[in-house]
Amino acid sequence: MALPNQQTVDYPSFKLVIVGDGGTGKTTFVKRHLTGEFEKKYEPTIGVEVHPLDFFTNCGKIRFYCWDTAGQEKFGGLRDGYYIHGQCAIIMFDVTARLTYKNVPTWHRDLCRVCENIPIVLCGNKVDVKNRQVKAKQVTFHRKKNLQYYEISAKSNYNFEKPFLYLARKLAGDTNLHFVESPALAPPEVQIDLAAQQQHEAELLAAASQPLPDDDDDQFE
Amino acid sequence: MSSADPEHREEEEAPAVGDDEDTGAHVAPIVKLEEVAVTTGEEDEDAILDLKSKLYRFDKDGNQWKERGAGTVKFLKHKASGKVRLLMRQSKTLKICANHLILPTMSVQEHAGNEKSCVWHARDFADGELKDELFCIRFPSIENCKSFMETFQEVAETQKAEDEKESSDAAGLIEKLSVEEKADAEKKDEEKSEDKTVEKESASGKESKAVEEPASSA
Repeated sequence: MALPNQQTVDYPSFKLVIVGDGGTGKTTFVKRHLTGEFEKKYEPTIGVEVHPLDFFTNCGKIRFYCWDTAGQEKFGGLRDGYYIHGQCAIIMFDVTARLTYKNVPTWHRDLCRVCENIPIVLCGNKVDVKNRQVKAKQVTFHRKKNLQYYEISAKSNYNFEKPFLYLARKLAGDTNLHFVESPALAPPEVQIDLAAQQQHEAELLAAASQPLPDDDDDQFE
Repeated sequence: MSSADPEHREEEEAPAVGDDEDTGAHVAPIVKLEEVAVTTGEEDEDAILDLKSKLYRFDKDGNQWKERGAGTVKFLKHKASGKVRLLMRQSKTLKICANHLILPTMSVQEHAGNEKSCVWHARDFADGELKDELFCIRFPSIENCKSFMETFQEVAETQKAEDEKESSDAAGLIEKLSVEEKADAEKKDEEKSEDKTVEKESASGKESKAVEEPASSA
């Protein structure tokens, strides 16, 4: 199914709509998957930003077109116009900000007006933060509305693959679907340029003194 | 209220949010996917190092390190060619963070501010195209970092020795070419790098150019 204004690829692809209050971590979550970076600075998304995100599964390659929408009303652009033809969705709230969970029903209502009967994952983000305001036990909306719920942290990567895996399984109707290794092509031979190498060594020396962006005591999983 | 209490309660509540439980609505699948054979690209290689780590790439525009992924870094030695590459995969999604050969000219050095980290430059092929990157990698322990650095240096030294051997082999092959054509045909199938030598000689038809080739590859 080729969606309007999206390039077609020769493997299954899906329009994934991501909604939720501003500042809950929608863009940070997507960026974490795209580049591996954790973006600390908050820049409100204006309108929508669409990013293709590929995964390799035991049933081949799949792609999610991630429609990362504005959470702040003033930057909403076409608002729910971005939901048209959405095939799956993520509703993001911030467990450290009670209001963002209270607003989940509104996001869900607006989403379901446009997209009927699509798989939806509710995500409680920032569970790495100590002083969370919304406890896991208090999250009950998903049971009332038949959504899946995952506690996640875009910062620590806790459960960060789960929303995509759940949606892929639902869209394929296969509970055994799982992610597998992306094929690692053999790197080609490279010609060694001595002048360039000296420049790289100088750059490396300077870079080696720059601090790393995250805390040393981060857990390794 | 003690600070320990909320943490304890959170631990209790965690099992309630069982990952295996599916609270989602039943929706009709929209695609039919068939199981396919998985090709990791590592089938012809042996892992000589395998460690949990976190990878960063240096963003020159912002003059800062950016996370690239957390997962497992491996040195993989090709069973036939003996070449070694570094391959790092992200946990859970198993996507590739780094994929490059370890070359004789490469070296790794300590990160100035962190004794569990080290830095190097590479022409990286993670995204399917060669790209200059400055990498930093961080390990859970100082010991693992030392192990990585030692293996990296050992591999680079080994590759240097093998490159030198390849050069002399190539030179020897060129001498043979004028005498024995059958040996040429066999070698052509076996080794890619020498195939280029053969092609260039047959194309130019000049002996002087063929002789120049090993010098440039050295």
